[in-house]
Amino acid sequence: MHPIDLAVVVAYVALITFVGIRFAQRVKTAKDFFLAGRSLTWWVIGLSIIGTNVDTNGYIGASGNAYSIGIAQANFEWIGAIPAMIIAALIFIPLYWRAGVYSIPEYLGLRYNQAVRVVAAGIVVTVSVFAMGVAMWALAITLQTFIGWPIWLGILVSGTVVGLYSVAGGLGAVAVTDSIQVCIMFLCGLIIVGIGISDAGGSASFVAKLTAENPTHLQAYLPSDHESYPWHGVILGLGLVLSPAYWVGGQAILQRTLGAKTQWDASAGMMFAAVAKTFVPVLIVFPGLLALVMMAEIEYPDMALPWVIKNVLPVGVSGLMFVAIIAALQSSIDSSINSTALIITRDIRHVLMKNHNPESDLKIGRILTLTLLLSAMCIAPYIGNLGGIFNFLQSLLSLFQGPMLALLLLGAMTKRATGTAGIITLVSGVLLAGILSWVVELNMLYVAFFTFCYAVPALWIISGFTKPHSDDHLRNLTYSPWANSNANKPSAV
Amino acid sequence: MELPVIWANYISIGLFLALGVGVWSIPKSAVVPEEYAGETWRDLRWWATGLILFQIALYTFFR
Repeated sequence: MHPIDLAVVVAYVALITFVGIRFAQRVKTAKDFFLAGRSLTWWVIGLSIIGTNVDTNGYIGASGNAYSIGIAQANFEWIGAIPAMIIAALIFIPLYWRAGVYSIPEYLGLRYNQAVRVVAAGIVVTVSVFAMGVAMWALAITLQTFIGWPIWLGILVSGTVVGLYSVAGGLGAVAVTDSIQVCIMFLCGLIIVGIGISDAGGSASFVAKLTAENPTHLQAYLPSDHESYPWHGVILGLGLVLSPAYWVGGQAILQRTLGAKTQWDASAGMMFAAVAKTFVPVLIVFPGLLALVMMAEIEYPDMALPWVIKNVLPVGVSGLMFVAIIAALQSSIDSSINSTALIITRDIRHVLMKNHNPESDLKIGRILTLTLLLSAMCIAPYIGNLGGIFNFLQSLLSLFQGPMLALLLLGAMTKRATGTAGIITLVSGVLLAGILSWVVELNMLYVAFFTFCYAVPALWIISGFTKPHSDDHLRNLTYSPWANSNANKPSAV
Repeated sequence: MELPVIWANYISIGLFLALGVGVWSIPKSAVVPEEYAGETWRDLRWWATGLILFQIALYTFFR
């Protein structure tokens, strides 16, 4: 690595650490630690959501995919995100905010029962621990590729930097550092677009060179017999189930909206994130297309982005781009750790330990954050040996998303769904997803869609035979803007 | 009969139009707090409309 690039990396690490530790001085209570004392403004929330969302798979994997399949990769950022983000901003976030909850499992516990809360919390924690290990491993691989550091050193250094601000500063530090990281990511993306199009001889020349060899690379959808992304599966599985489940039920994503200053800031934060999300393909899809246009000689598609950094970007900018990749990974790790610590502290510990002391939540939260970080650092070196880990993580997610979305959707939009029906539907839906995934060996996009199609009628029918909550109990837990709008203060928490 | 791939674009555009109708069925009072009632830029339904129109443009262009 060139000394100028190295200086850029060191300056970035120093800036992030300084900002994070500054925030640590503001943390006095568990609410400060987990919800930033409900002080976050809409633009910080929006940038932080994007920082949390664009992760390992998003950066290096998406560029590789774009190299292989073209602009169709952008469906994950467009139809696979924007509609769900709009629905989350206008319907679900106001609902969670008014309910005054810290987490999505807590909302499910209030809306259904404590069994649903604990099972949902268990699911979130399981997926998060795997995701953290994967992100930490990818970060170490990135450091090894670019600087030549051994894996253990990469994990130790990156874990220490993330730990310094997320253990000390909680959600406030995480959200502000995420915002800085996203600004760096977009700056690098724009520089790559500028240099790439200029090197290709202008935008018309870029498009001509791209489509000459790859005529379908500028088509948004792939044929229905495509192995990984058939268009039916993308619309039904990704657009209608996986994406809404992620954006209306993803704890790491929604936690920063629950830390908003007002309900409007919470919703506007998600809407601003949707605006930024629309342009994320510039960061993660364009480099893959650029590698094609520049006739990159690479062994496999995931090398597209590293090739662009090495061969297209000038000194200094390549250091900044390297920082952007580290930032994408760090902002996902810190968010996962903070939200997982919250769920263990409140949704598992508070429910299972009847004599817990809420005053100790801050201390417990910090200890858990540190423990989770150390666990991820210990798991990370072994993740590489599992092979196909990203696909495994995606499959694991698709097991839960269908039933979880059904519970959130019917729970929020109707008063009919009952606690007993909720737990039966959640457990049976996950079992069905397991059978469809591992026995029938169905594409994960279809698994999500079919389990959702099972869970909605199952929840509706079983609820007819079981006792519902009273209307009074459900007042702040179901969405009815025509009857009760404009409650701009959360319930007591 | 197998639908051609271009239908995926048509279906996407249809879904975005339906979402637009849904967005404008939400009353303004549920989106904009009373203290901001006079500030049009705080009406998130307009933000959503801009996003939806841009998405329709993208799926019209990349087909």
